[in-house]
Amino acid sequence: MEVASVPEPAVTTDDGSSNQFDIFATYQSILKNEEISTPLAAILALTKLIEKSNAGTMFELVKALNDGAEILKKRTTNPISLNAGCELFIAFAYLFPHDADSFSDLKTELVKQGQRYATEALTYRDKIAKLALGFIKDDSVILTHSYSRVVMKTLLRAHERKRISVYVTEARPRGLGLRTYDELTAAGIPCTVVLDSAVSYVMDQVDFVLVGSEAVVESGGLINAVGSNQIAIIAKAANKPFYALAESYKFHRLFPLSQYDLPTHNPSILAFPLSSTATTVSSPTSSSGSTDGKTLPSEGPRFMTQEQVACNPDVDYTRPDLISLVFSDVGSLTPEGVSQYLVGMFAG
Amino acid sequence: MTETITIKTIASPLPIQSNGEPSGSQPPKSQKNMTKAERREQQERQRAAKTAAKAAGPSAKLAPAAGASNPKPAPAPIPATNTPAKRSERRGTVSGREAPNVFGDDSGKARGLRIFSHFGLPKPPSQAKGDIHPAIIRLGLQFSEFKISGANARCIATLTAFKTVIQDYITPPNNTLSRHLMTYLSPQITHLVSARPMSVTMGNAIRQLKLEISGSDIDLPEQDAKDALCLKIDNYIRDRIIIADQVIQEIAGSKIKNGDVILTYARSSVVEKVLLRAHAEGKQFSVIVVDSRPMLEGKKLLSVLASVGIQCTYLLLSAIGCVITEASTVFVGAHSLHSNGAVFSRAGTAMVAMMAKMHSVPVVVCCETYKFSETVPLDSFIKNELAPAGDLFSSTRSKDTLSLSAQPNFEILNPLYDLTPPSTITAVVTEVGVIPPSSISSIPLALGRTML
Repeated sequence: MEVASVPEPAVTTDDGSSNQFDIFATYQSILKNEEISTPLAAILALTKLIEKSNAGTMFELVKALNDGAEILKKRTTNPISLNAGCELFIAFAYLFPHDADSFSDLKTELVKQGQRYATEALTYRDKIAKLALGFIKDDSVILTHSYSRVVMKTLLRAHERKRISVYVTEARPRGLGLRTYDELTAAGIPCTVVLDSAVSYVMDQVDFVLVGSEAVVESGGLINAVGSNQIAIIAKAANKPFYALAESYKFHRLFPLSQYDLPTHNPSILAFPLSSTATTVSSPTSSSGSTDGKTLPSEGPRFMTQEQVACNPDVDYTRPDLISLVFSDVGSLTPEGVSQYLVGMFAG
Repeated sequence: MTETITIKTIASPLPIQSNGEPSGSQPPKSQKNMTKAERREQQERQRAAKTAAKAAGPSAKLAPAAGASNPKPAPAPIPATNTPAKRSERRGTVSGREAPNVFGDDSGKARGLRIFSHFGLPKPPSQAKGDIHPAIIRLGLQFSEFKISGANARCIATLTAFKTVIQDYITPPNNTLSRHLMTYLSPQITHLVSARPMSVTMGNAIRQLKLEISGSDIDLPEQDAKDALCLKIDNYIRDRIIIADQVIQEIAGSKIKNGDVILTYARSSVVEKVLLRAHAEGKQFSVIVVDSRPMLEGKKLLSVLASVGIQCTYLLLSAIGCVITEASTVFVGAHSLHSNGAVFSRAGTAMVAMMAKMHSVPVVVCCETYKFSETVPLDSFIKNELAPAGDLFSSTRSKDTLSLSAQPNFEILNPLYDLTPPSTITAVVTEVGVIPPSSISSIPLALGRTML
């Protein structure tokens, strides 16, 4: 099937890249496959690393894996979901029963298991879509945020059986909501893009909110494209269900205490400019293309400069008490259920 | 000791009888002439008198017998019916006779705060009954005087004492260690509990110890078996407390960032270590130590933190509203964790947690998993302890000092613990990771066993 054939090219593409195994290049090339999400790419990159490594003991192997994970982490800007994948695979490798005859057998077994898992994991989105379908009623109006593969799959699948219409947020600054819009309209689903700032305006029209996720953390909360948190807060205030879709490989042993406790947070995010006068002068000159005019009212909308965008976060953290359910391939879980699953899974 | 008690119990009915009680002034009826209600009332009174006498001491069995033989209906033992003047006079004479006796105060408290009479009260352990090991007697005294307090310290002290007890124990002939040692330990445990109610940590540790004892090999030579048990105890202390603390320090420390303001309440040994370690790692943060009467344990924490150069603010619980918005994280310790996610901790913690919750400040509880208890407490009233009385008014200025014995309608209530509801707790840092309170019930699962 198409699912089984997917990881093969990804795994084989990097064979002739160089003698020195470059885990990041491998990771990047695996990611080129549209279907493979970052945690899976990380898992596949690590299986590749096992294949290439000449570790003779478990200790060496785990060390090599940790080093590889560290390299990946350092070279990506948003390591959260990547971490989830690395963590899962290293824990799996560590706890894998050693009944192989030799260590190289064990390694090949681990590689086989990792690849089998990745293949299997590609079916998870279908599972989730099936699971979520029961919660989508005919004539539902759904609000979604940005672009998520698992949400797309769910919506397209729901469209086959039921009449649904979708509001999607624009999701600035990357504007990924427009991609969702394009794909949904192409499939014939009535879809309207709303401004990120219009979420509270649209909320009363909506039956429920459906979002994907970057990672589901140990508190049962959610890390997702920035804006999810405010949508969750508004949904809670309007008493609308807020559903998250997450494959189980996105479950991550991380416990953010606040927005600023995320690994992606750094001092430059939300930083104030050093001197306010300097930026007001520099901002019109550095603004690219769209707003050249110095006269404010006559020109069209103004956009943020690159520097201004850089002061903003990519992801935010949604507290568990704002989430109604998390649909995953291990079932529909409440946020408490997610955290109990995570505590149990990594207990060993 | 026994003498004073007898004197007291005889003394107490006397003034009441000469007191002109409303019931006493009436001509005594014989039981037959009484109405049903009257008879019931009399029975109630007699029962109450009996329990009061029992509370005063086992040697006071004489008193209710005397009361029963008395044709008059027994006077109500509740002192509230007495006029205050009479009562204070009586208390005066009694306390004059047995001024330094702790039991005098004790029985008075039990009477005045009947609704709280189930709260454990630290008291000098009763005369050692049976064969109590000196180490246990010493520990009992240390417990009752709060020389050793804190869940971890008490658990470690208990286990260390039991190591001595086990080493000094000799299996009697025709018995096996695994069967008999338990019967020898039981009175020792009872003695400790009589000094201060058993903490959850001690309960868990003792349960584990009992399991180890009953599981020890019958064929093992006695000394080997004892050594094996002591090793097990050492391992328990190391794995569940010492190493667990180190892991917690590491995890909780990662939640402290430069520029943070950490708020903590009273003194928890784990939180203290977390803060010290974070400071040693070179993190720049300041600490707000919130404290409260009567124990003022925060002072100790304050001196420790200040001595290593952490910037500290010290204030009492009543002022927490002023500073809670300044705090970036609240770290507190715990006495025990419960399966519904509630945390039993030093009285006042619940208030701190609720204030923090109100102001969206994350509340982090630092707690080892061996403090887990499967019970589900719904409030802090069902089970609690009383802090040592008297401290509440021991101010530096002597005019503030209130003499307890001179106040008839006045009792002090010092609950030692309170229950922090799970909804106010953001996270619990344990050695198995940072978990939300809703997952506390998965701790046994996380430890890979069904029983703790």
